[in-house]
Amino acid sequence: MVIVKRKELTLAERLYLPEILRGLSITLRKMFVKRATRQYPEEPLVTTEVTRGQPRLAVNTDGTVRCVSCGMCEAACPAYAITIDGHETERPIEREPERFEIDMLRCILCGFCEEACPKEAIWMSDELELADYTRGALVYDLEKLKRPVSALQPRIDYIKKINDRWRTSSSTS
Amino acid sequence: MSLFLAQVLKVVVIFAGLVSAAGVSTLAERKVSAWIQLRLGPNRVGPFGVLQPLADGIKFFFKEEFIPQGATRWLFLLAPMLAAIPAMMTVAVIPFTGVIATVDGTPIYGSIADIDIGAIYVMAISGLGVYGIILGGWASNSKYSLLGGLRASAQMISYELSMILVILSIVAMSGTMNLREITDQQNANSLLGFLPAWNVFYQPLGFVLFVICTFAETNRHPFDFAECESELVGGFHTEYSSMKFALFFIGEYCAMIVMSCLTTTLFLGGAAVPFWAEAPWFVGLAAFVVKAAFFMFLFIWVRWSLPRFRYDQLMALGWKVFLPLALANVFVTGLVLSL
Ligand code: SF4
Ligand code: SF4
Repeated sequence: MVIVKRKELTLAERLYLPEILRGLSITLRKMFVKRATRQYPEEPLVTTEVTRGQPRLAVNTDGTVRCVSCGMCEAACPAYAITIDGHETERPIEREPERFEIDMLRCILCGFCEEACPKEAIWMSDELELADYTRGALVYDLEKLKRPVSALQPRIDYIKKINDRWRTSSSTS
Repeated sequence: MSLFLAQVLKVVVIFAGLVSAAGVSTLAERKVSAWIQLRLGPNRVGPFGVLQPLADGIKFFFKEEFIPQGATRWLFLLAPMLAAIPAMMTVAVIPFTGVIATVDGTPIYGSIADIDIGAIYVMAISGLGVYGIILGGWASNSKYSLLGGLRASAQMISYELSMILVILSIVAMSGTMNLREITDQQNANSLLGFLPAWNVFYQPLGFVLFVICTFAETNRHPFDFAECESELVGGFHTEYSSMKFALFFIGEYCAMIVMSCLTTTLFLGGAAVPFWAEAPWFVGLAAFVVKAAFFMFLFIWVRWSLPRFRYDQLMALGWKVFLPLALANVFVTGLVLSL
C-alpha cells in the first residue's frame, strides 16, 4: 500500500488570494495567445495526399473510365455502399460500368474500395464536404463520381509509393 | 417643468443604459470566455459579433413558454420579475457623475434619486433579489430548482452581512449615507499628496472583502451555488424557458452592473478623475464607466479562471472568515476615527 502524505499548505496558499491572483494572471496571459480557432467555411480545410476523402472514379485523358466493373470494390465495401451494373464494350478493356453508384450516406470512407481495385480506377479523393437537402441526392451516380486522373494524381502517386515500400521490404525477407 | 423633464430624461437614459449594458455584458461574457480559452467567440452577427445580444433576444422571444406540471403558476411567473426588478431599481441612487447642470438654482445630479439614505436603499433593495431566486426555485416543483434556490438564499444572506458591515465602515468614515456625498469626499482631498483620496486606500481590507462579497451577492463564480451546473443542472432556473429565463439572465447581469457601480462609488471615487477635481460632468461619467467596466471585466475574468467552491467551504468562509474580518474592520475604523 502506498500512503501519499499531503503537503502542508503554506500560509500564502491557505490565504488563497495570492493563488487566485496567480490563476487570474494565467488566464489573462492566455487572452493574448494566438487563437486556435479555424474559421471553417472561409478558411478551407487543409488537405494533403494522405487525406482519405470520398471515393471517386478516375477518368482517363481520352474521357473513358478506367473501371471494368469487376465488382471487387463492391465486394470489399464493408458498408455495402457500392452498387455496380456492367456491360461489354468495344474498348480493349472489354467491360465498363453501366451503373456505378456510391451511397455517400453509407460510405464510411474506409478506403477498402481503393485497395481492392485491380485497375487503379477508384481512389480516395481529397473531397470532404458532403451536404444536400435529400437523401437521394447523396447517392452519387457515375457522372457525379467521375474525376480526371490529374485531379487524383497526388493520391495515386502516394499510394503507389506506399505499396512499393511494402513490396521491397517483403521481397528481401 | 424643466426640472421634471430633466428627471424623466435621466430615468429613461439611465434605465436604457443599464439594460443595454446588460446586453453588452452578455456579449462580453462570451467574448472574454472565448479569448481565455483561445477561441474567437461569437462573430457571425454583425461585425465582430457585436449584434449577438440582439439575436439572442429575438431567439428568446421565439422559444417555447414552458410551465412544469405541479408548478405554482403565479409564483412561477412572478419569480423572474422579482429577480430582475430589484436589480434594476438599485441603479436609481448610483451617482454616475457630478452636477450636470443647474436649473433655477437647483443642481441636477448624475443620479436618478439623490437621497440621503442611498447606502441603505441599495442594500435593502438588492436584498430583495433573493426572493426572485428562492421563489423561482420553490415554485418550479423540481428538486434541482429547490436546492439551487435554498443554497442561493443561504449564501446571499450570509454574505450580505459582511457586505453591510463593510459599507458601515465607509459610512462611518464619510459621516454620510448619501452616495453622492461619499463620492464628493473622495474627490475633494488627496492622500499624502500623490494618491487620490479614494476609499480603497483607506480601507484596503474592506475593499477586498466587498469585492468578494459582491461575487457571492450576485451568485457569480466561484460562488454560483444558485446555478451549480455540475450538480444541480441549472439550479433555480432549471425549469425556466424563453423570456422568463431571459429575465433571470438580465436580472443577474443588471445586479452585476449595479454591484460594479457600487464598488466604484464606494471605493474608487465614483466619477472622480484623479487630480482633476473640476472635471466636467461628461469626463466624470466616462471615468465612472471605465472604472465600473473594470469590475464587470473582473466578474467575467474570475468566472472563467476559478473552479466553484464546495458548499460547506462557502458557508465556512462566509461565517468564519468574512464576518470576523468585516467586524474587525468596523472596529478598527471606529477606533481610528475616534482617536
Ligand atoms: S474494383 Fe475497380 S475496376 Fe472493379 S468495379 Fe470497382 S472500380 Fe471498377
Ligand atoms: S470507402 Fe469504404 S465504405 Fe466507402 S465505398 Fe469505399 S469501400 Fe465502401
